[in-house]
Amino acid sequence: MTASLGRFLILASVLVSAAGAFIGFAAGQRQSPEGLKWARRFAYAFAALMLLSTLVMEYALITHDFSVQYVAQVGSRDVPLWVTIVSLWSSLEGSILFWGFILGIYIAGATWLNRGKHEEYMPYAIGTWLGCGAFFAFLIAGPANPFLTVPNPPLNGPGPNPLLQNHVLMIIHPPMLYLGYVGLTIPFGFALAALLRKRLGHSFLRPLRASLLLPWIFLTIAIMLGGWWAYEVLGWGGYWAWDPVENASLLPWLTATAALHSAVVMERRGILKGWTVTLVLASFLLTILGTFMTRSGVFNSVHSFTQSSIGPTILVFLAATLIASVVLLALRIDSLEAEGNIESGVSREGMFLVNNLIFVVLTFTVLVGTCFPLIVEAVKGKQMSVGRPYFDAMAVPMGAALLFLIGVGPALPWGRATKRELVRALVPPIGAGVVVAVIGALLGVRSPWTLVTLFFGGYAVHVTLAQMWLPLVQRMKRGGSFGESLVDAQLRRGRRRFGSYIVHAGATIVLVAIAVSSTQRTSQEMTLSRGQTAQTAGYAITFTGIEERAEPHRQSTIAHFNVAKNGKPVTTLDPRMNQYAAMREPIGTPAVHSTIFSDLYISIMNIAPDQQSAGIVVINTPMVSWIWIAVLLMGLGGLVALIPSRRRVYAVEPQSENAPSLGTAQP
Amino acid sequence: MNRTVLIIGLLIVAVVVAILFMGLGKDPAHIESPLIGRPAPGFALKAVGSNETIDLTRYRGKPVVLNFWATWCVPCWDEHPVLTANAQMAGDRVQYLGVVFQDEESKIRDFLEQRGWAYPTLVDQAGKTAIAYGVGGVPETYFLDKNGVIVAKFAGPMSAEDIQKNLQKAMQ
Amino acid sequence: MIAFLLVLALQMKVPDAEQFVGKPQGTPLTGEQLNLKTQQVGALLRCPVCQGLSVSDSPSEMAVNMKGQVRELLSRGYTQEQILSYFERSYGQFVLLKPKFNGVAAAVWILPLLAVAIGVVIVVSKAKKLEAAPAGNRQPTTDNPSDDPYISRVRELVEKP
Repeated sequence: MTASLGRFLILASVLVSAAGAFIGFAAGQRQSPEGLKWARRFAYAFAALMLLSTLVMEYALITHDFSVQYVAQVGSRDVPLWVTIVSLWSSLEGSILFWGFILGIYIAGATWLNRGKHEEYMPYAIGTWLGCGAFFAFLIAGPANPFLTVPNPPLNGPGPNPLLQNHVLMIIHPPMLYLGYVGLTIPFGFALAALLRKRLGHSFLRPLRASLLLPWIFLTIAIMLGGWWAYEVLGWGGYWAWDPVENASLLPWLTATAALHSAVVMERRGILKGWTVTLVLASFLLTILGTFMTRSGVFNSVHSFTQSSIGPTILVFLAATLIASVVLLALRIDSLEAEGNIESGVSREGMFLVNNLIFVVLTFTVLVGTCFPLIVEAVKGKQMSVGRPYFDAMAVPMGAALLFLIGVGPALPWGRATKRELVRALVPPIGAGVVVAVIGALLGVRSPWTLVTLFFGGYAVHVTLAQMWLPLVQRMKRGGSFGESLVDAQLRRGRRRFGSYIVHAGATIVLVAIAVSSTQRTSQEMTLSRGQTAQTAGYAITFTGIEERAEPHRQSTIAHFNVAKNGKPVTTLDPRMNQYAAMREPIGTPAVHSTIFSDLYISIMNIAPDQQSAGIVVINTPMVSWIWIAVLLMGLGGLVALIPSRRRVYAVEPQSENAPSLGTAQP
Repeated sequence: MNRTVLIIGLLIVAVVVAILFMGLGKDPAHIESPLIGRPAPGFALKAVGSNETIDLTRYRGKPVVLNFWATWCVPCWDEHPVLTANAQMAGDRVQYLGVVFQDEESKIRDFLEQRGWAYPTLVDQAGKTAIAYGVGGVPETYFLDKNGVIVAKFAGPMSAEDIQKNLQKAMQ
Repeated sequence: MIAFLLVLALQMKVPDAEQFVGKPQGTPLTGEQLNLKTQQVGALLRCPVCQGLSVSDSPSEMAVNMKGQVRELLSRGYTQEQILSYFERSYGQFVLLKPKFNGVAAAVWILPLLAVAIGVVIVVSKAKKLEAAPAGNRQPTTDNPSDDPYISRVRELVEKP
């Protein structure tokens, strides 16, 4: 019964979204207000159907209704309730349903927030969104149907993949990732609408930017959560392996970040409209590529869902949207370009161009590296790998270049600058850079790239803080207390700017922390017998014994270690080997002791049969917690920038020759 | 119509779609062996159930089917009777050899006694022979011709046809 | 009995790297240096049974065996190139995590550099084109008034008591 209800709801959503897409495009072509109204209704209907289908699936999961195919696949009576709830997105079919659910929410939200506004674009946008919705609904109804009926329902199921049950981050990482990925469909719709309307009006920039920023925030945090999860769960002590699916999540983030930056120039100078639209389209297309990479079985990855027939279907959709985007761009991009110029390449505008260059090259490099083994195998029949050493070698200089830009970019004035202004802007932060690099060297950093990164980092922090507090200082100069000025200049009026600089501050810390945590990491393998103590990384680690713990879905062997520093006990660490009923090899969970300075990480390699000794690897990674915290800071900055200000429209006249020139130098 | 955008764009589309399409047919976990056509790495390992050391060169002059397996490998259980039957059929014309790594000799002996012991099974040391042969998983089988040259490698459990097909190559 | 086992042990041989890459060409390593170098070389080798992890990072038995092999070869004086070459011989280029600089693999190193070069050319020419273009409607944004000199001036004039 539940299965048929689910199937019915999904079928309905296919029809509703397909019809709605059609109506949207027709309404857009005729610019019909009535058509727009209907398109909106279909959008809400699609969202409601997706919501209902998801609720039906969760109901089936929680009540352990094994007559529903997906529940028989991932459900189990032996797992905790939270595992049952999150198993919605643990396996392929459920995860596509989840994608449709999130897409429904986004479409309904975007439709509602823009009701009564931008009516020349909205029909096309809704049409695009519902077109994408129709594709995913089709996937759910067809190749990836979770609602199939199982003829002889089993009494119990295997539960979701054990690796996914090992950690609480399982609850947040996938939803965050989907909120980011799926959310990029909305700006895609806006961008296509602009192309179809042959214009990108100034007032349309706001919804375009906002719809890009919100998923960006989610995606940023999701990528970090993925790294953190890998770090805490997989046991090799690292957080990023340049695994194809990790790369798939990074690619749209890179182009979306580039788009956010070029949108600033677009707003200021009226240029780069076509380029920004291209980046927005690329971000969406990369999410479809990403979902193909994860689900098609083409790429060898820790994350891959098991192979299914869904690959070719997604590839067809990808090809179709790629071709449509390219053709539309070719036809309309020239009509988008408004008149505009820049005064000088050596300016903040110029630095935005360089920023875009680096992001695009980085995207290209990661894409090439990930797909290269496929190309070689197809062309030459040979198999080769492109692994971490390659990506690290490429990413390190580009990361350093980005950090350089975070420093130099905001330091440069807008427009044209005299030589004196340039010197005044660019020289003072050098001191901060040197200080940070020296501190690093004193603390033991010897790697040249890390020292360079520290220098750029210090430089960037100086510039970011100076620019961040600029409105505050100006406000106080005009007469205001610190508190008043803070709220007024930063939070009430200058949110976008303030938020952006918070993001930059976070990004600077992330890049520096990545450099330090990678090069200053120490790793030691050792075998300890019961009661034995070893000294490593400044800690004294004592192996106290093994404990066996039986839980309904797994058998855990836990190794207990006492950790002391300078004679004083610090903590106990209990890495474990979990034997899940459903898997042959046990899965290890490392134990991590995080402090603000560094993490102490113990992972079990093997346990002697008599359980009197254990082989472990002890890893000390400095500054790794800074990465998680700084990325959260980036998300927070994005939120601050996202909150819309009440429209205060200043009367602005186009600049005429007779207006007194105030120059463009920064105060 | 912006020609540049159109041409570059369609080019990108064609390349990307072509690459991904070609990738669809392949299994990323399957690794081709570079040792085909090369002499098989030599070894002399202890046989299970006796104190004998068996050297690979002993079997020069006839084709060898070298099967890497382990008692914990479930597909190997299915493959074992097929190998045993074929070994018995082949008699002296073809030499079958098993090499086990990452396993315990007592477990191997029990397994063979239960399920059939038609040919010598050797125990690898620290996986070194497996590494020299480029073994990525079990079961994997190498077919050697009478001169000790590897002519084929098969990854995964074999059926009787798989064995016969590859033996043809070894017999040439 | 012991003598018998000893004789037996002496008769056993496993395939040795010498067959494939010749005699060691470097100096044998020991102690901390050996550990460090094992880690480094292991990071360049791909564990064949894992999903892209290096031999240094993987806990699987196959990786542990390979790492042991790497350590032994290093202690006998083999160089990194020889060791990588040895594994490449039996596993193919698949086992090298860092693509080689020659042959087909070279393309993966060259393409990004090419992209940077082409990108720089495009950006510089676009910047020059933009510098030469006539000024258009410069619409100051309303969200960061402090950046815009017009707005600050207007506010000053309006807000002064």
